[in-house]
Amino acid sequence: MVRQAHHERNQQVTIMPPIIQFDHVSVSAHEKTILSDISFSLSSGEKAVLCGKSGSGKSSVLKTLLGLLPIKRGTVYFQQILLTPASVQTIRSCAAYIGQEPMLGADNVRDALLLPFQFKAHRGHQPTEAQLIEVLQRLKLPADILKQQSSRISGGEKQRIALARGLLLGKTLYLLDEVTSALDAESKQAVFEVFSDPALTVLSVAHDPEWLELCNIIFELEAGRLIEVKRHGNT
Amino acid sequence: MATLDIQLPQMALLYGLCLLPVLLLWLIGLRLSRDIGISILRMTIQLALVGIYLKTLFDLNNPWLNGLWILVMLIVADLSILRRAGLKARYFALATFTAIASSILFSTAYLVILVIQPTHYYDARYIVPLAGMILGNCLQGNVIALERFYSAVRKNENEYATFLMLGATRWEAVRPYFREAIKAAINPTIAGMATMGLVSLPGMMTGQILGGSEPGLAVKYQIAIMICIFTSTTIAGIINLKLSVAIAFNAYDVLRDDVIKKP
Repeated sequence: MVRQAHHERNQQVTIMPPIIQFDHVSVSAHEKTILSDISFSLSSGEKAVLCGKSGSGKSSVLKTLLGLLPIKRGTVYFQQILLTPASVQTIRSCAAYIGQEPMLGADNVRDALLLPFQFKAHRGHQPTEAQLIEVLQRLKLPADILKQQSSRISGGEKQRIALARGLLLGKTLYLLDEVTSALDAESKQAVFEVFSDPALTVLSVAHDPEWLELCNIIFELEAGRLIEVKRHGNT
Repeated sequence: MATLDIQLPQMALLYGLCLLPVLLLWLIGLRLSRDIGISILRMTIQLALVGIYLKTLFDLNNPWLNGLWILVMLIVADLSILRRAGLKARYFALATFTAIASSILFSTAYLVILVIQPTHYYDARYIVPLAGMILGNCLQGNVIALERFYSAVRKNENEYATFLMLGATRWEAVRPYFREAIKAAINPTIAGMATMGLVSLPGMMTGQILGGSEPGLAVKYQIAIMICIFTSTTIAGIINLKLSVAIAFNAYDVLRDDVIKKP
């Protein structure tokens, strides 16, 4: 529930040293403006949600932060480091991006969970079987899902597997795009419990009222512009 | 044993044979006479010109002229590969040229200098047709490699981005598509070697037998050329994709739109 709301039009908000900071960011692709003069900041441990109509630029904010969209004007900072080709790897290594239909990138669930540990950045940090089971249990997933084909599991299970992968990697920033859309009540509760951890920072796109309740910052977007920021003290 | 010449009246008889398929196609309702006519005319003119310049090259047998001819073939192949793969030449011409030139020069030199060992290694009778055959096949392989690779990256855009988000470097993230593209590029050569002589008699071997060579000698040359085609296609494909990946992605590892031609 939003207990305290105040309107801040394109204004920078700082509570603690921000982990994410957008400073007058404009993004265009194919000669079309996607984001226009966006400024906001997010501190470590905060849970934020981007709201707005379809095409308002919510997912583009997440992609811009990950260096997947070209910044036309303005600057993006992550942990007070300017987002550049040289620093993009830092944010990618700290952030987990989970979409509505996450790509698992492997034929079965076990391989999907272990996939990132094949990359040089995580090689040698492969989780044990016990750690795999523990993270699955946290997300209300059965242990035998490890043997299942990735193509045969549901959208909700894929989302939780992608989340499990982020947890196994020790990610602290979660960029979530409609992550509760395919979850039943029990699974949703498990996901909420994971994100109640104050060490995890969340920037999400969602319409789910329960998810909005969990978040302490609501960014309202319209046609690529940030029109309203609402804050409340849920976390 | 000299090959029997085909005289002009017999050549005319040969062209007359085309009337049969043209008539059959017309009867089944396919109006392709114009296209067939243009294709036959182009083939005749192009091969007549090839005959003239090959004769000149063989008569002069000058190493510089032979080298120049191979350079021209490489440039034409380079532009042809990029056009057919749907990539813009102004970005990739140098990368593709480097890939095919290094692989063709390596395998042709290996074949001519170490294996065939003619009196003059620059002998046009050996290097021009051998380099041409290797290049022709290498061209097909590189078109497949580039086309498959960039189609796969675009088709699997979300998966590629997921790999990057999981900590993969650009090269680690494109590796699955790279492997598939190289496999697709060399598969026709591998399949061709596996069925060679069973399904059809290969062109080079047939040509040598008609030219009066012993079948045993023709077989050895056919094996030599197939191994060189396989070697150069693999090397060129790998170098080409490796070099192109450095060009086709921006500094944030995102595939650039401006380097690929609009379909």
